Amino acid sequence: MKIAHSRLELNNRHSTINKLVKEDGMRIGLISSIDGSQLLTVLIDPKNGELQIFETSLESHHYPSLSRCLPSAHWQERIVWNMFGLVPEEHPRLKQVLLHEPYSADFFPLRTVSGPFEVPERPHQGQYQFLEVKGDGVYEIPVGPIHAGIIEPGHFRFSCLGEVIVNLEIRLGYVHRGVEKRLTEVNWRKGRFIAESAASDSSTAYAIGFAECIESMFSLEVPHRARLLRVLALEVERVGMHLADLGGLAGDIGFLAAASSFQRIRGIAFRMAELLTGQRFLRAFICPGGVVRDVSTAMLKDISASVSKLQTEIPVLTEMLLENQGVNDRMRGVGRVSHWLALDFALVGPSGRASGIEYDARQFHPDYPDFELALQTEGDVYSRAVVRAIEVQKSISIIESVLDKLCNEESQFFLQLPEDLPPNAIGCSVVEGHRGELVQLALSDQSGRIKRYCFKDASVNNWTALAIAARNNLVADFPLCNKSFALAYSGHDL
Amino acid sequence: MLKLLTYLLRNGVVTQTEAMLPLSEASLGMPQLSGAACLGESCKLCRDACPTDAINIVDGSSISKTFISLDRGACINCSLCIDLCPTKSIVSDRDPRTAARTRDELVLNSPGTSQHSSAQTGSTSANPFKRSIACRVVSTGCSACDQEISAAANPIFDMERFGVHVVASPRFADVLLVTGPVPKAMHDPLKRCYEAMAEPRRVIAVGTCASSGGVHRDSYSEANGVSDILPVDVFIPGCPPHPMSIIAGLMLLMDRLPVLSDRK
Repeated sequence: MKIAHSRLELNNRHSTINKLVKEDGMRIGLISSIDGSQLLTVLIDPKNGELQIFETSLESHHYPSLSRCLPSAHWQERIVWNMFGLVPEEHPRLKQVLLHEPYSADFFPLRTVSGPFEVPERPHQGQYQFLEVKGDGVYEIPVGPIHAGIIEPGHFRFSCLGEVIVNLEIRLGYVHRGVEKRLTEVNWRKGRFIAESAASDSSTAYAIGFAECIESMFSLEVPHRARLLRVLALEVERVGMHLADLGGLAGDIGFLAAASSFQRIRGIAFRMAELLTGQRFLRAFICPGGVVRDVSTAMLKDISASVSKLQTEIPVLTEMLLENQGVNDRMRGVGRVSHWLALDFALVGPSGRASGIEYDARQFHPDYPDFELALQTEGDVYSRAVVRAIEVQKSISIIESVLDKLCNEESQFFLQLPEDLPPNAIGCSVVEGHRGELVQLALSDQSGRIKRYCFKDASVNNWTALAIAARNNLVADFPLCNKSFALAYSGHDL
Repeated sequence: MLKLLTYLLRNGVVTQTEAMLPLSEASLGMPQLSGAACLGESCKLCRDACPTDAINIVDGSSISKTFISLDRGACINCSLCIDLCPTKSIVSDRDPRTAARTRDELVLNSPGTSQHSSAQTGSTSANPFKRSIACRVVSTGCSACDQEISAAANPIFDMERFGVHVVASPRFADVLLVTGPVPKAMHDPLKRCYEAMAEPRRVIAVGTCASSGGVHRDSYSEANGVSDILPVDVFIPGCPPHPMSIIAGLMLLMDRLPVLSDRK
C-alpha cells in the first residue's frame, strides 16, 4: 500500500482537502492528532487504495472545521475535540461523544503536550444537551444506556410525533475504555491483544489492521501463506457476523424460525473459526509478521467440510428470508438512506453499498484478486439485508479458493520482526471488516515505541446513517433499522 | 410456509444432548498448571509474554520449590504461555467448567493441581436459585461475551433447558450478568441497574474483562472489572468464555454444576 506523507499549512487545509474529496474523489479516512499540537488527515483514494497523510501544525487550539463543506468529517472532529481539546470552528454541532460527566472538564486523554498553546475546558460538563424538538404533541422517548436485549450500551433519545420519529439523537461513549491510550503504554508486541479487544465482532479485522499497520512501518511484506490465512480468517469472521446479522433482522420482526436457523448455521462458522485459530472469535491468531501458527492440511480439510455444509444451507435459508412476504412488508422502504446522503456522510461497508456507494476496501487489496462488489441502490433495510446475503455467498467462494491455494502450497507463515519499531515511522492500514472500512494509523517515537495509535471504525461513519434512517419512520421499526446497520458501540467508543 | 416447515423438520433437533462436554481438540482452552516442574526465574518466558501479567513466578531454592501462579481471572486465553513453556508446566485445559465463586479461586498455584474447589462446595438447600433463574445482561465492553451469552441461549446450547432465562428488565431479574470491564461512564448505570433488582439477587461477572479489567486494567477509564462496583457471586473467566463455560457458571450459582461427559 502506497503511503504519501506531507505537510499542509492550516491556511490551505480546508481548500486542499475539499478539492481532493470533491473533485478527485478521495475519501476522508481519518482525522486525528498526534499529541494535540497538530492535525492529521488521512485521505484514501478508493480507486487504488493509495493513502495521503497530511500533517498540519497548529498555533492555537482552534482550526476551521471541514464539516460545513464535508459532512463526513463531523463526527471525527467531535472525537478530536474530546480527546485533544482542539476546537473545530463553525462545526454544525459540537458535542461530547466519548467523555461523560465523571471525567473532569479539563481532562483530554490523548493530549500529551503542554504547549505551545492552552486548550479550553469542555463546556456543559455535567449536563449533556440533547437536541430539543419543539412543537405541539412532540414528546421524547429516552432509551438506554442499558438496553432490553443483550447488546452494548448507548443512549437513544427519540423525539416523536405520534408513532413517528421526528429526530433521533444518539449518545455514545459509555464503553470508552481508553484503547488508543493503552496502545501507547504497552510494548507494541502486546498491542495486538488490545486491538483485538476493541470490538468483538471485528476482532480479526482489527488484528489484521494492526498487523498491517506495524508491517507498513517496517515496509515489510509478510509471507504469502500468512496473507492467505489472514484472508481466510477475515472471511470466516465476515460469514459468521453477516449470518448473525441476518438472523438478528429475522428475530427483530418476529420471524423466529429463520432467526434460530441462522443462529444454528452461524454455529458452523464458529466451528470454522475454532478449527482455524482455536478460538470462536478468531483472536490471538494474527500477529505482526504473519500468523501465530500454521494450519495443518487435515484442519483445512475439516474447514472445507464446514464450507460445503454452509454452501448448501445458506442459499436455502437466505431465499426463505428474503422471499418471505412478511419480511418484504416489514423491510422494504423502511429506514432509507438516500444515495446522496450516503455520499455526503461517506457511509462504508454493507450500509454504504446498500445505498449504491461503490466502495469496498477489498477492491484494492492485493490479496483479493477479481473482487466483485455487492451493490444495491434502494438504501432501505431490505437492501442492507440483500447486500449481506450476497456477501456471505461471495465470502464462501473466496474461502473455497483460498483453501485450495493453502492446500497446494507449503511455505513460511511467519516473519520475525525486529525488537523495536523503526524510529519516527508512520504506518497505516485499511481493512474491510464485516461492518466496513477500518482505518488504523500508528506513529513511532525516536526510541521505536508507539507514540500514537488511532483507529477509525466503520461505525464512526455509519452512526449518523442510523439517525438519518430512523427519521420519519415508526418507533416500532427502530430496532430493525438499528440492526440493519450492525453498528458497534465499542468500536466507536474505544 | 410449507417450505419453511419442511426445512425445520428436516434439520430436526440440533441441541447438544450432553449438558457439558470438553471443548473440541481444536480449541485452545484455558491454561492450566500441569504440576510439571517449572524452570523458574531462569526461564520466565511465559511471564514476559503474557499480555495481561496474569502469570507470576516465585523462585524457590530448587526447581521443585519454584512456584507459578496463574490468574485465570486476568487470562485472555491467548495460549502464548502454553506455546512457550519448555517444561509443559502450563498446558491447555479443555474443561469448560472454569467458573469460580471467588476471585481467589481463579488463581491457580503450583505445585498442586488446579481443582476447581467451588465444584465441590456442597449444595445448600437454602439456595433460592436452585431450579430456575431470570437473568438480566448488562454489557460494558467489547460485546464478545454478550454474543457468547446469546449463543448459550441458541438452539445448540439452549440454556433455557436448565432453567435459565434472559429477561428484559432488572425489575424481574434474579441474576445480573455483567460483561466487559465496566469503564467509568458505566459505573453509575450499572449500580442503578443492580439497585432496581429485587432481593435476593446475585451478580455474575462474565469474561475476563468483567473479572479483572483484562487488557484494560488500570487505564484512565477505571475499567477494572465488576467487583470494584458490585459484590460478585460467580466469576467466569475467558476472552470470551465459551457458551458452555457460561452455562457452567450459571449452574454453579444454582448449585447444579454438571458433570463432564465424554466427547464422542
